[in-house]
Amino acid sequence: MKSRIALLLLPCVFAAAQITPAAPPAAGLTPAEIGIQKAEAQIAKQPDHASYYNSLAMAYARRARETSDVRYYQKAEDTLKRALELSPNDFESMKVQTWLLLGRHEFAKALEAATALNKRTPDDVTVYGYLADANAELGNYAAAVEAVQWMLKIRPGNVAGVTRAAYLRELHGDISGALELMQMAYDSTPYQETEDRAWLLTQMAHLHFLAGNLKESEKYAQGALGLFPDYHYALGTLAQVRSAQGRFDEAVTLLQKRYAAAPHAENLYALAEALSRAGRESEAAQSFAEFERLSLAESTIGDNSNHELIAYYADFAHQPEKALKIAVQELARRRDVNTLDCYAWSLAASGDYAGADVQIRKALAVGVKDPRILAHAGAIAMHLHMDAEARHF
Amino acid sequence: MRSVSQAATTLAVLSLLLAPAPALLASSHREAPITALDQKADITDWYAFVDPSHPDRVVMILNVDPFLEPSNGPNYFPFDPGILYEMKIDNNHDGVEDVTFQFRFKTEIRAPGVFTGLVGGLAGIPPITALDGPGSEGLNLRQSYTVTMLANHSRIDLTNGQTLFAVPTNVGPRTMPNYNALRAQGVYDLGNNISVFAGTVADPFFVDLGAAFDSLNFRMAAGGGVLSASVDADDQNNYAPNTLAGFNVNTIVLEVPITMLTADGKLHPASDKNAVIGTYGTTSRSKFAVLRDPNGFEFDLPNSWSQVQRLGNPLINELIIGTGSKDRFSMDDPSNDAQFAPFFLNPLLAQIFASIGIPVPPAPRLDLLPLVQYQAPICPGCAAADAGPIADLLRLNTGVPPTPFASAKRLGFLVGDTSGFPNGRRPNDDVIDIAARAVGGILADPVKFGTRIGDGVNVPSAPTLTTFPFLAPAYSGRDSAHAGPGQPGCTNQPGGICPVN
Repeated sequence: MKSRIALLLLPCVFAAAQITPAAPPAAGLTPAEIGIQKAEAQIAKQPDHASYYNSLAMAYARRARETSDVRYYQKAEDTLKRALELSPNDFESMKVQTWLLLGRHEFAKALEAATALNKRTPDDVTVYGYLADANAELGNYAAAVEAVQWMLKIRPGNVAGVTRAAYLRELHGDISGALELMQMAYDSTPYQETEDRAWLLTQMAHLHFLAGNLKESEKYAQGALGLFPDYHYALGTLAQVRSAQGRFDEAVTLLQKRYAAAPHAENLYALAEALSRAGRESEAAQSFAEFERLSLAESTIGDNSNHELIAYYADFAHQPEKALKIAVQELARRRDVNTLDCYAWSLAASGDYAGADVQIRKALAVGVKDPRILAHAGAIAMHLHMDAEARHF
Repeated sequence: MRSVSQAATTLAVLSLLLAPAPALLASSHREAPITALDQKADITDWYAFVDPSHPDRVVMILNVDPFLEPSNGPNYFPFDPGILYEMKIDNNHDGVEDVTFQFRFKTEIRAPGVFTGLVGGLAGIPPITALDGPGSEGLNLRQSYTVTMLANHSRIDLTNGQTLFAVPTNVGPRTMPNYNALRAQGVYDLGNNISVFAGTVADPFFVDLGAAFDSLNFRMAAGGGVLSASVDADDQNNYAPNTLAGFNVNTIVLEVPITMLTADGKLHPASDKNAVIGTYGTTSRSKFAVLRDPNGFEFDLPNSWSQVQRLGNPLINELIIGTGSKDRFSMDDPSNDAQFAPFFLNPLLAQIFASIGIPVPPAPRLDLLPLVQYQAPICPGCAAADAGPIADLLRLNTGVPPTPFASAKRLGFLVGDTSGFPNGRRPNDDVIDIAARAVGGILADPVKFGTRIGDGVNVPSAPTLTTFPFLAPAYSGRDSAHAGPGQPGCTNQPGGICPVN
């Protein structure tokens, strides 16, 4: 398999020799595309072999991450259905199913599925990863930490466990510790896994951004874009850097590019916000209106953009009652730090600063250092005349 | 020269190395289940011997990452910066390391947008002729490393202020027009008679793996598993295909004065128990708490590493230890090896030999235990009380004068070459044949159990060097080939072609 991957990447070698950093997967295939091609070839030879459908489904799910195109999730689900027809109750198929639930942001269902799989095979490292993901998104941080610790106990240094540990450190406010682990994961990631490496570089860019190191953040984001041109996650992080640098027009350009590649409501919100900051109000208004329409349409399903919708109603549309309604709805699904922050901010926008203070403190108790959450906490404290605390944030 | 019977006695202990599953006669190229999932941490071979050119120094070689196909770009074969590579030495016979050498690697991606690790002689990039500075531009993926010695509760940085670069694999003549000169830059003199080398080399191991894997179905052209006297006496040629021919492996080679290893820091004659050390290599990955202690968490604390694999004597894990215990063995310390003694006392391979008509001594093979304890003949100066616990350590009597490479014998101790395996291990020691014969019982009675068991692969395909770093340069990615059945590589066979049957 290794040799095959290397062979398929050979066109990239020549692209590199000409020093054209913007071209890698253009000449070759991305890791997910390679996976799709390989699984399809296996299925063509042995159409009754369930595990090949599992591989194809995972490759589609991975392609969804590469492209941010959720239609790949549908393809993955259709493929998985075939695997389960061939081999009902197959452990690997059920793992893929759990992974797809996570991709669909059906966190409660994913937790239920992962818990059942973990009971069935307690030694499976990947299942602990699913338990960690679902718990972290639901705000069950202690359970998430425990699951990741098991991943690392069973297989020391495994990249999937290390990156999850990094994310949990970030949520708990340990940015330098998170960076250390992301670097460790990057060092252990095979060279040909360009998308994985780009993802890790983007995570490091994000962490440097959180720490206020714009220069470092930019360097890592650019590195990710060099590895995987127009990588939508990296475009978003670089745009954050540009906004923080006051280079709003450049942020707009990057976010337009991202929205073109990944046309999701939350990406449109970031673009509208940047347009507003750039002083391009009429374009911003148009984008916000379109965002609201798209976001409301998906508001009740798992993979929604409710955090952005709440921010929109609270900060731009000045409709705090709508923000609060969506926040309460989302809070019924998950209680992670971001949802708690959204709830707190919608309460504050509605004038309930005391209630907002109670909620924001729940998020802060985890240790999170996200500048947006800290800014909200500071504003709430200021309204409550807790000047010393406000300054702290 | 020692008598055959003395040598045979020594070999008895070798059967320890051999108990086994016939499907696994392959040095340590992938054995324990977890190790097989962690190729970078997979130790293929461990060597320790006294340098014939410098009889006051010991050479230790740790090979990792098996079956590296030389053409397998674009990433090729970096060491894993997440792994702690270690060489460990027990010098007071308690089975616990007293001196440790640690190696840590760092990867530098010098041009993140370039999609191959090594490029040169193309598109304005000069050929790679240097590890650093002009001529190194094409080393996009470059690794440096540190060497640290732990002894007497202290840590000593041995890098001597130098930046040590790992030598990349040999991509081919356009990229690296003078690979040997490039590689020579990666041989570092650290002062005080210490030398180090890390990089990709031609795998020195040699075995007809295909025949061994096929339930010991050795080539009839090479004797069908029993060598003729003339083939057995040939230390220069292969009569069957060497599966490792044409494959690279990553290596760390360290040469240090014997006085850095012995308990009292002195040289001792072979008859003195203090001349004998026990050695092994390990790979470990860091373990850490998901959430750090607010007071800070130190990565270098001794207990912050999880051992993935260890290797002392060749073939122990793959041949002796049962599959259900291989991971536990890999992760445990040699001083706890008494738990595996039952595997040593009734080697499965001996039972298999018996089943196909090769006479073997009956179990329990108590005669094998001396290999995993400090005893004569490797340690003639050891009294019964000095034996120490059962522990898989490659034991080396540093007082035995090293045989010059030109006159060294592939069967080592078995034919009176006392500076060969199992007194340490040199790259050309034929551990497959030696071990197989020991299991066959040659030690108990060289006449009754003296079958010349062997695979007909007698030497490494890339000749071992007589000077540091000893292992042959990496095979070229563009120009090298393997030596399968029906292909060139067996010099004394008709036309130099390796036999199929």
